[in-house]
Amino acid sequence: MSLSVSLPVLPTAPSVATGGPDGLLEAARPCTLSQCRPGSRATVLGLDDCGSDEACRLRALGLCEGTAVSIVDSRHAMVLDVRGTRLALGSALTAGITVQPLPAAARSARG
Amino acid sequence: MSEVAAPVVEPTPPTPRAPANEAVLRLALVGNPNTGKTTLFNALTGLRQRVGNFAGVTVERVEGFFRTTSGRRVSCLDLPGSYSLSASSPDEQIALEVLLGRARDGWRPDVIVVVADAAHLERNLFLASQVIELGVPVVIALNQMDAAEAKGISIDVPELIDALGVPVVPLVAKRGQGIDALGRACEIAVTLPAPSRRFTLAPAVTEALAPMVERLEANGLTTSAAELEALRLLSIQHLEPHVAEVPGLDEARRHAAVTLGQIGIAPQRLESDSRYGWIGEVVARAVTTKEQYGRSLSDRIDGVVLHRVLGPVLFIALMAIVFQSVFTWAAPMQDAIEGLIATLGTLVGAVLPEGDLRSLVVDGIFAGVGGVLVFLPQISILFLVIGILEDSGYMARAAFLMDRVMRRVGLHGRSFIPMLSGYACAVPGIMATRVIENRQDRLATIMVVPLMSCSARLPVYTLLIGTFVPASTLPLGFGLQGLTLLGMYLLGTLAALGVAAIFKRTLLKGPVRPMILELPAYRWPSVRTLGVTVWQRAMLFVRRAGTVIMALSIVLWAMATYPRTSVDPSEPEVVQAEQQLEGSALGQVGKLIEPLVRPLGYDWKIGVSIAASFAAREVFVSTMGTIYGVGSDEENVQALGDRLRAERNPETGEPVYTTLVALGLMVFYVFALMCMSTTAITVREAGGGKLGWSWAAIQFGYMLALAYGAAWLVYTVGRALGY
Repeated sequence: MSLSVSLPVLPTAPSVATGGPDGLLEAARPCTLSQCRPGSRATVLGLDDCGSDEACRLRALGLCEGTAVSIVDSRHAMVLDVRGTRLALGSALTAGITVQPLPAAARSARG
Repeated sequence: MSEVAAPVVEPTPPTPRAPANEAVLRLALVGNPNTGKTTLFNALTGLRQRVGNFAGVTVERVEGFFRTTSGRRVSCLDLPGSYSLSASSPDEQIALEVLLGRARDGWRPDVIVVVADAAHLERNLFLASQVIELGVPVVIALNQMDAAEAKGISIDVPELIDALGVPVVPLVAKRGQGIDALGRACEIAVTLPAPSRRFTLAPAVTEALAPMVERLEANGLTTSAAELEALRLLSIQHLEPHVAEVPGLDEARRHAAVTLGQIGIAPQRLESDSRYGWIGEVVARAVTTKEQYGRSLSDRIDGVVLHRVLGPVLFIALMAIVFQSVFTWAAPMQDAIEGLIATLGTLVGAVLPEGDLRSLVVDGIFAGVGGVLVFLPQISILFLVIGILEDSGYMARAAFLMDRVMRRVGLHGRSFIPMLSGYACAVPGIMATRVIENRQDRLATIMVVPLMSCSARLPVYTLLIGTFVPASTLPLGFGLQGLTLLGMYLLGTLAALGVAAIFKRTLLKGPVRPMILELPAYRWPSVRTLGVTVWQRAMLFVRRAGTVIMALSIVLWAMATYPRTSVDPSEPEVVQAEQQLEGSALGQVGKLIEPLVRPLGYDWKIGVSIAASFAAREVFVSTMGTIYGVGSDEENVQALGDRLRAERNPETGEPVYTTLVALGLMVFYVFALMCMSTTAITVREAGGGKLGWSWAAIQFGYMLALAYGAAWLVYTVGRALGY
């Protein structure tokens, strides 16, 4: 899978809540969902590179701007936890979704 | 939460409220996939169901009937599973049209039941919030309460009723809990004022949408439904057919998008932002979730099922079981059915006087009935196994695992099971394509399923391989005969993949849509739902395909029987049969097509056998038996083989059947669609009527062309190489 997708311009909705109540140690840079590791969490920033029909489907499924998702699995394709449901997304989509990685509680403690 | 100033505008005069027991209550059932919607439908209606297609499309229409506890008759339409009303698939399109009261058959719901999965309420409320705004009475069926409880989720139902403004009935459809209460809630709901939107948009947004709402209202929608449509249409890029004709709507939409953009709102995310924003508040009020520690059971099962190595191994093992069950478990049942029909035919034949009538009854009608019923074991077993895989949640994982492989030829992960079933029989395989949501992918799969070598080809392969391929053993213990058989199966499989790729790039061109697949939580399938599904599929086959198969059987019988030829009564019976067949319409067809099959190295006798087997390829062997005067019984296959080897061309004295001719004939049967049952089921599954027949014609035509071309190639190249 080639991931040489240049980072898209960030959507102008930056006020997405990106952290827990106890603040962030350091804000990771926004990236595509496909670059996230299994076990991590991220907030969706934009669906602009998914194609409009697919973006519409994803929003209806609850994967919309501002939603926090967890990456459950990425052994074959990516499996996400979206609002308590498990969604499997093909690589064409995960490469088109811009996210803000969230520090998982355990992970940030380890640095 | 805003106060609702619901303008109670009734668009069309509602049917006058007749006292209970008189007017049939029309109920539409909608819901996300995997919410147990079909289980609920079966629990409500049992076997009182009618299966058909929505007019002009391949989407299945299932209507059922039941009575509420108070005796009110209800007709219940099970709409295709949808995640939203945003019509991104033909299924969702149909659901939207029915719910808006625009179905072509004029069916409008009196009440809509939204089936919501209690364990995943947040996502399910998206569709519910859209449906509530349609301006039709709504009841929420909160299903799988047991699964929610097990996940530590508790739902405050009164609070939810207050938040949604419609009746909410908690239930466990699988166990029949809450079914009666649902019926009563529907009766009550139709007497309540129609529900409407439960949140308000910012004034500037409402203002921007006003022109769209106005135009939709002028086109006959209620205010509430018009507001729903305005918001929904902003989130999708294309204009759906049913709104394309509303004058000025497209212009108003573009204008609204620009206005929204000016105040810093992205129009395509307005709907999801507002709805999920409101849903968040509703969930916060009505749902409490106990924090669960550790991974859920479903995730732990997925740890194995989606494992890099174990996953594919488990998948292959399960598919082997599917294949095995359809291939072998059905065989004794099929033999029993065939035996029973044959016995009955003989018994009836014994009472009838010798002659055409007896021949029609025994060889035409009883053979036809047998030809239909013989498929039932395979269809029932396949749908039972598929039902278990589907309802347990494994099917979504199988589609997930196969997606990357099938995507290479432009198909979907879900095309795999139908193609695998095709090895046993194309008929249940084609019926199984229903699991594929996308219409183009479904049709492409239907088109290629018959290329998988089915069990009916086996008698043809067995006769020809057994007779003409030497039983020599190759290194490593492989037998040449076995390898030839394997080669035939591989040839069909590769052709199926190749042809699917061609269809997806030409006639069924469409973007290969990226995978978006919900992996539902694993659960035990319901025996009742499985039973109803299997019964429904079996009956559907008997009714739809069965009639066609019967009719064609009788036509074929007539062609092999008429016109009567004077046969020499002093000859043995098998010779009389041979002479009769030669003089019949079918025999004449065989002679007529002889010039056509000559380039393949065949004579008229093979021509007749091919012509006869257009209805069912296994007929080839029995027709060859008849035509070579050894009788058509199975025990005579050995004698037939000997006869074929001895057959000489009367002019040249060379053997008619060389290994090359036999090989070409087998290749012909790998590709040719010689099976009227498959054609009948393709007509139905491709949409019925003219549409279905044209797809069936395409299927038949391309397979015949492929068969002829390949057989010719084998024969010509073989000759050139000196065989």
